[in-house]
Amino acid sequence: MKLWFSFIKELKLASRGFYFYIEIFMALLILAVLLFAVPENFESKQTEYIHLNLPEMNKKIYLQKIKKMDINGSFEEVEIEVDNKLIQSKFYETEDKKIYIINEKDDLIKLADKNRKLGAVIKLNKNNKLEYEYYLQGYESKRLKNLYLISHIEDTDTLIKALENQDVRPLEADYDTLTDRENIIPIVLTFNGALMGLFIIAAYIFLDKQEGVIKAYAVTASSVWQYLLSKIGVLLVTSILSSLIVLLPIMGTQPNYLLLLLLLLTTGFFASSLGLLIASFYDNIMQAFGTIYLFMLVIIIPNIAYIIPGWDPIWVKILPSYPILYGFKEILLKNGDINYILKVSLGFLVVGLILFAISNRRYKKTLTV
Amino acid sequence: MIKVKNLYHSYSNDDNYAVKDVSFEVTKGEIFGFLGPSGAGKSTTQNILTGLLELQKGEVSVAGYDIKKIIPKMFNKIGMSFEQSNVYSKLTAKENLEFYRKLFDVKTRNPDELLRLVGLKGKENKKTGDFSKGMKHRLTFARSMINNPELWFLDEPTTGLDPAIASEIKNIIKEQNDKGVTIFLTTHNMYIAEELCNRVAFIIDGEIKLIDSPKNLKLQYGDKLVEVEYIENGNLIQETFSTVIKSDKKKLQNLIGKHEIQTMHTKEATLEEIFIKVTGRRLV
Repeated sequence: MKLWFSFIKELKLASRGFYFYIEIFMALLILAVLLFAVPENFESKQTEYIHLNLPEMNKKIYLQKIKKMDINGSFEEVEIEVDNKLIQSKFYETEDKKIYIINEKDDLIKLADKNRKLGAVIKLNKNNKLEYEYYLQGYESKRLKNLYLISHIEDTDTLIKALENQDVRPLEADYDTLTDRENIIPIVLTFNGALMGLFIIAAYIFLDKQEGVIKAYAVTASSVWQYLLSKIGVLLVTSILSSLIVLLPIMGTQPNYLLLLLLLLTTGFFASSLGLLIASFYDNIMQAFGTIYLFMLVIIIPNIAYIIPGWDPIWVKILPSYPILYGFKEILLKNGDINYILKVSLGFLVVGLILFAISNRRYKKTLTV
Repeated sequence: MIKVKNLYHSYSNDDNYAVKDVSFEVTKGEIFGFLGPSGAGKSTTQNILTGLLELQKGEVSVAGYDIKKIIPKMFNKIGMSFEQSNVYSKLTAKENLEFYRKLFDVKTRNPDELLRLVGLKGKENKKTGDFSKGMKHRLTFARSMINNPELWFLDEPTTGLDPAIASEIKNIIKEQNDKGVTIFLTTHNMYIAEELCNRVAFIIDGEIKLIDSPKNLKLQYGDKLVEVEYIENGNLIQETFSTVIKSDKKKLQNLIGKHEIQTMHTKEATLEEIFIKVTGRRLV
C-alpha cells in the first residue's frame, strides 16, 4: 500500500510539474509531424536526364520503348530551367524512374551537375551498336559504378530476357512491410517512450534532493525501493501515454497492444533503473548531465543501423536500443515475431531488475547525503 | 531510549573525524539538549541516530533498535523535525501530511488537527510552494508529530520563527514531553535549551565536553559569579569572575584593591556563559 500511496503522490507531483507535459507535448508534436509532414512513403523514383544522340529512326524506336514503360503510356512536354533559360523536354514516368529527354548534350551535363542527378548520352558506335556515356556525381559507390560497367556487356534485350527467366521464390509468402511513415514509429517508441526514463528519472531524483524531501522520506517507515519504484511507475505511465498518443492515430488497431505494453514496461523499467544508477553517483543534474548525455549519444547509434540496413556491425547490436527498436518493429508488423518480442522483454526485465537492485543498494547509502 | 557508545564519524573516511568518541545515553521521557556551535558535530550525530548517515564506528541503539541494521519499522517510533524545511512544494499543506501519514504502520494524527496546532488553520489547501519560510518550518514541525513518536528529534525547532510562534512551539514540545515523549533537541539556542531540557550535552569539535542538567550546571557555575564594572585608564570595563575558581578569585581581589569599582553584582550564569566557560568557545 505504501508503494501505491507513493505512486499516487508521484503522479500528483508529475502532473503539477513540467517534465510530464514536455513528454506529452513532444508526443503530440511528433504525431503532427508524422501525420502532416512525413509522407506515407518517401519519393524513391530516380530522376534521369537522357540525351539521345541517335539517328532519327533509332531515336523514335528508343522513345517508343520508354513510352511503353510509362505509367500513363504517353509522355508530357515540359519546360526545364537551365542557366536561366527554359528548354523543352519530353518527360516520362515509369514505376521506378522519372526520365527527361534533353535535346542538347550541354544542357544535359548542366542539369546533371546542378540537380545532382544521373545524366546519360545514348549514341551509336562504329558497329551501329548502342553506346552509353554516363555523367555521375563522383561520390557514387564502386558497386554502382561497376553495375553501370557490366550492364552493357550484353545488349539490353538479352539482359531483360535473362532476368525474366530467373525463378525468384520468397521463403515466406505471408510477410508484411511497414510504410515509410510507420517505419519511423519504432524510433519514436524507443526514444520518446522506452528510453526517455533514463533522463527524466534523474531529473525527478535531483528535484527531490533539492527540496530535501528525500530526507523526510528516509525517516519514515517506508523502504527506499518503494520510493524508487514509485518514481519508475510514474515514468512508465508517461511513456505508455506518450507512445499511445503517437501510435493509435497512425496504426489504429493493427499492432498487438498487449505486447507493446509488455515491451514498453520492461524496457522503460530498464532505462529508468539505469537512470537511477547513474544519478546515484552525482549530487545534482548538472554534474550528472555529462554522463547521461554520453549514454544518450551511444544509444542513438542503432538508429543509423535501423535506417540504413546495410550498416549493421555486431557492436551496434549489443547496444540496448538495437533490440528495442527491432522489438517495436516486430510489434507493428501484422505477423511480427512474438518470440523475439518476448525474449527482448525478458532480457530487459532481468537486466532492469539487476540494475534496480544495485540502485536500491546505492540509494540506501546515498539517498540523504 | 538512546544509547551511544564510542561513536566516530569521518566524512573523508580517514582520521579527520567530525565526531570523536562520543558517548551518552538518553532515558525515556527525558528532554536531552545537544548544544554546540555550527560545525561542532551536532547534526552529524543526529543524522547517525536517525539513520540519515551510515554508522561507521561505535555502538548506537535508538528506541531499542541497533542502528547498524536499521529497519523501516524503527521509524514508527521516531519523529524528526528538520532545521531546513523540506516539504513538497507542489503539494498543499494537507496533501503533504496526508501523504506522510500513510508511510507509517502505527496510528497517526489527523492532519487538520496538526495544522491547527501549529497555527496553519485555513492554509490546509494552499500549496506549500507559496508558504513563507516560517510557515514551511511549522509544517515540517507538524509533520514530525504525525506518527505519535515515542522519540522525537528536533533540530533547531524555533529557528526563524517569530517570538509568539516560537513560544507556541515550545509549549507543544513541553506538552508532548508531559505525555511521555522522549526528546532529543539539537540547538545552538541556549535559552530554549535552558527552558526545555532536563539534561544538556556540550559538543565542540566533534567531542562532548560536558553532560549535565542545566540546574546542576548553574549550581556549579552560576551562583558563584560576580559581575564587576570598574574604571581603568578612564574607561569603564565590565568583567565576570567566578568565586569558585582560584585564579578568578585572585583576579577579583587584585581588581578591588587597584581599581575604582563602579558596580558589583552576584549573578546567575546563563547556559551560554557556562558553555563559554567550559569550552572556551562561543555558540555562533
